[in-house]
Amino acid sequence: MIEIKNLTKIYKLNKKQMKESKTKSSRKVAVDDVSLRAKKGEIYGLLGPNGAGKTTTLRCIATILKPTKGEIYVSGHEVQEEPEEVRKKIGFLTSDIKLDPQFTTDYLFDFFGRLHNVPEENLKRRKEELFEYFEIKDFAHKQIKELSTGMKQKAAIAVSLVHDPEVVIFDEPTNGLDIITARNVTDYLRKLRDEGKLVIVSTHIMSEAEKLCDRIGIIIDGTKVAEGTLEELLQQTNAQDLEDAFFEFYKLRRE
Amino acid sequence: MNGIKQIFQKEMARIFRDKKMVFSVFILPVAIMIGILMVTGTFQRRMLSNIEGHTPIVYVENEPESFQQFREAAEIKVKPVKEGEVEKVKEKILKGDVDLLLSFPENMDHKIAEYQTGDEIPEILPYYNPGEDYSKEAFDTVGGTLLETYRQVLLGQRVGNLEQIEIFKVDRESEAIQIKDEDKVNGKVLGMMLPYFITILLFAGAMGLGVDMITGEKERGTMASLLVTPVKRSSIVLGKVFALMALTGISSVIYVAAMVACMPIMAKTMGGNIGDGFKISMDVKQIIMLGALLIALSFLYSTLIALVSVFAKSMKEASSYIMPMYMLILVIGLSTMFSFGNTPESSYWIPVYNSSVVLKEILTQEVTILHYVITLLMTFGMGVILTGVIVKAFESEKVMAS
Repeated sequence: MIEIKNLTKIYKLNKKQMKESKTKSSRKVAVDDVSLRAKKGEIYGLLGPNGAGKTTTLRCIATILKPTKGEIYVSGHEVQEEPEEVRKKIGFLTSDIKLDPQFTTDYLFDFFGRLHNVPEENLKRRKEELFEYFEIKDFAHKQIKELSTGMKQKAAIAVSLVHDPEVVIFDEPTNGLDIITARNVTDYLRKLRDEGKLVIVSTHIMSEAEKLCDRIGIIIDGTKVAEGTLEELLQQTNAQDLEDAFFEFYKLRRE
Repeated sequence: MNGIKQIFQKEMARIFRDKKMVFSVFILPVAIMIGILMVTGTFQRRMLSNIEGHTPIVYVENEPESFQQFREAAEIKVKPVKEGEVEKVKEKILKGDVDLLLSFPENMDHKIAEYQTGDEIPEILPYYNPGEDYSKEAFDTVGGTLLETYRQVLLGQRVGNLEQIEIFKVDRESEAIQIKDEDKVNGKVLGMMLPYFITILLFAGAMGLGVDMITGEKERGTMASLLVTPVKRSSIVLGKVFALMALTGISSVIYVAAMVACMPIMAKTMGGNIGDGFKISMDVKQIIMLGALLIALSFLYSTLIALVSVFAKSMKEASSYIMPMYMLILVIGLSTMFSFGNTPESSYWIPVYNSSVVLKEILTQEVTILHYVITLLMTFGMGVILTGVIVKAFESEKVMAS
């Protein structure tokens, strides 16, 4: 389970960054007082436009960023107090994190498995299962730098799941993937949910959120403006689909 | 511990699984270094044999008969300067067309024969061009050695028995006058060279690898994949620093071994006896002291490079920070190479400098246990402090996310 209590993340900007973002303030509030709860056995989607604060929130959960204010609990462990315990529980995937181009998927799978203290036998079994599911076997012994974007993404997903984590956090997991591979990935996320895992994804693709997520949190300008199942969100806005609902919330926020 | 081991093994695999990396890290630098030494040696030898093989072009002015007979006996050919052409010959010396002009005083034989105490002593002027190798050589051989022998001959004619005016001799050539500790003399040559070479090799070896290992991983986005594993930040840092230590250690051992192995070939190429200065006999104590200090030193260098690499945002930035550091370490190495006399007590407390001094002292057998222990602890302690700073930097999202 993940519980976020009043998460705020403020970045300090240097002069160059201030110029780039055309602001005179040296502070940028990326996430503003966000609270949410996500339970085992569900797919929770963070939906929002680019720069809304989705990735920052996920990075705070994954202990890569430190919250400026607030607390985050992952399976009962607070991210700032027990970061190593949190990292044991999660599988984190984001486009900023890349696999070492010099090594093969096979080598990196074993390497990360060992870093997660996965026993050798389990490691073998996990490799067999994940490489089979994501059709990695054909290129498992090629260096990452020789792989296509889709192959790289498959490899990254398999490696991030090597330790069979309780909580799976995927930041825009289908980004850059072809339709078949994307379906493959979303199907696997459903499988994980059905096995009782908690899956958190961020996305800006409405159709993906609609089909995949059990509950959706809408984030705009660092603030959570709505949360609920698809039906609940549609009811709240009297909208026909998620895109219309999203724009209703967006308008309300801007008013 | 598991994390340190895994990361260490991965960094080693990065080099050893890739033939190109093995070649560029271990083989290429050795080949380049030996190649450069051999090529410069060959050119130097060619230059020397060229100068030695050259027949000097010597002009003489007012050549006395006694000198003519003398040089003909020694089979030296000269050309006489024609009337009023002295300046022309001097010009040719300036251009490098003529090597030497021996200008004798007029009627030198007569002046010598009629010499009375108080008369002016005849003076010979050997004109040469110090900027020309052939001219310098002619000045040394004809203008120096040959004229000296000529003087001895004339002196013999005047005095009869030369031993009467010699009064006493000084023997500076005999082996018997040298009271020396063979190991210390040999160690002196090594002591001068080795700390300098070790410093360069250890640091230069660690430079490229360290930057790639840390800044490179940050730049490529692969460091973040390590940061989301349950491994402690300190384990990641230590795994990388130890790998860097091991790799630089291996590369410097290979460099030194290759240099020693190639010494006879290089000595032959250079036509000299440079191998003689490298004879060394070390006892077990010396070897242990040297080994422990080198381990501590490679630890310190690895942490220094890792520290710069962790703060740099790109590999380019890291390299530009490391270069001045490398220069500084080169200068420190050089300063110990040419330092003489007693080292002030405070020097042993300065990291990097103290290890250069102590390395030298171990080889010349002048090191005291106290100085050694201070140096070892300072080097190691500094490495530990730097490791602490790197771990802190690894925990900082500002440093790692940049």
